[in-house]
Amino acid sequence: MANFDSDEAAKIHRHLHAHMPSDPALRIKALESLAVEHGMVSPKTLDAWVEAYSEHIGPKRGALVVAKAWLEPEFKTHLLKDAASAIAVIGYEGHATGDLKAVENSENSHNLVVCTLCSCYPFGLLGISPPWYRSAAYRARVVREPRKVLTEFGVNVPASVAVHVWDSTAELRYLVIPQRPAGTDNWSQEALAAIVTRNSMIGTDRDLSLETV
Amino acid sequence: MDGTHDLGGKQGFGPIQVQHEYLAFEHYWEGRMWALAQTTRNPHLTIDWFRHLVECLEPQAYLTMPYFEKWAMAHLAGLTMSEVFTTAQIIEGTCNKTNERPPDATLEDVLVSARNKSRTFQLKSTIAPAFKTGDIVHTLSHGKRGHTRLPGYMRARQGKILSHHGAHSFADEGAKGLEMAQHLYTVVFSARELWGNEASKIDTVSAELWESYLVSA
Repeated sequence: MANFDSDEAAKIHRHLHAHMPSDPALRIKALESLAVEHGMVSPKTLDAWVEAYSEHIGPKRGALVVAKAWLEPEFKTHLLKDAASAIAVIGYEGHATGDLKAVENSENSHNLVVCTLCSCYPFGLLGISPPWYRSAAYRARVVREPRKVLTEFGVNVPASVAVHVWDSTAELRYLVIPQRPAGTDNWSQEALAAIVTRNSMIGTDRDLSLETV
Repeated sequence: MDGTHDLGGKQGFGPIQVQHEYLAFEHYWEGRMWALAQTTRNPHLTIDWFRHLVECLEPQAYLTMPYFEKWAMAHLAGLTMSEVFTTAQIIEGTCNKTNERPPDATLEDVLVSARNKSRTFQLKSTIAPAFKTGDIVHTLSHGKRGHTRLPGYMRARQGKILSHHGAHSFADEGAKGLEMAQHLYTVVFSARELWGNEASKIDTVSAELWESYLVSA
């Protein structure tokens, strides 16, 4: 039975880190071999999970949700009120989206998401998190100097526009709804979704280009 | 715990390595680790215990290890503490078993399973919430042993309750394998309250904080 003891966990970490091969590929291979030998999972099932998140579950889902919110006021109201149940309407519920909050950018405000304590992310809606999102630099800096971090993404937020940073410390996950760009009247949901960037749904992109991403 | 993982506001890090396009996995082993995390069951591994296992890595390892390698080390330490594997078996890379494998899942099966992973952490509570939207609150001034989710940079600060989410599974107890309901709030802080005059007057930082991290102003 696990005893959930911090000191014991740290001791096991030191032992394994000192004695396992240092290459992460080999460490993960060891975990896979043990899991398969123990009868926890089959390698083919693992292949299917990799394929699901490489080809099917990813930021295109979030982009379609944003485009739908731009086009359908009722859906947008639902999304802003209870994002978890709104995305379930289109079958996009999944890993780490059971408690979900949509926050909307405006002319006067910009929203930006981080998890400073680990790297929490709405995987089921945006896919696997980008490496920069999990980096120590982003986690450390974005709560303290968000405007400077944004310039590194090519985003200059005017001093008159408020920046709201959301540090997802519990199980609530965030989806940023970027502003719909001008010149997109009469565009279809698919055409609109194609200009919604992954970074704009985290908040590290602001003014969307009309060029398809 | 006052660990290296509590990175918010730490200075000295360089520019962000920006990426715009979506690439699920840069390396083969990243995808394998993701898939293993979705499928390998350890009955004691709550989300909170998993996070704490990551936090318990040595500080220098925490800062230099790739993300998915940290996941592997957390799973391996957790499986050791749950007495599924020994450290000797892990170092050898085999447990010398040939147990029957569960059936192969297809892509279609996995897409259904992925959808079914959606769950809320909201729990029923018979205790009335201590705070309501708009209340001014103070955060605790000290950390604690074990897993907790009040970031260091938000300690001993004054904020405002932006919203109440009902009671959610309390992370500090979840990391001990227990499920305890406690009221959860989004608390908004002015950037100047956290960082002084170097911050913009109009910016804010918010976080979800459990009731026991807060005291009335």
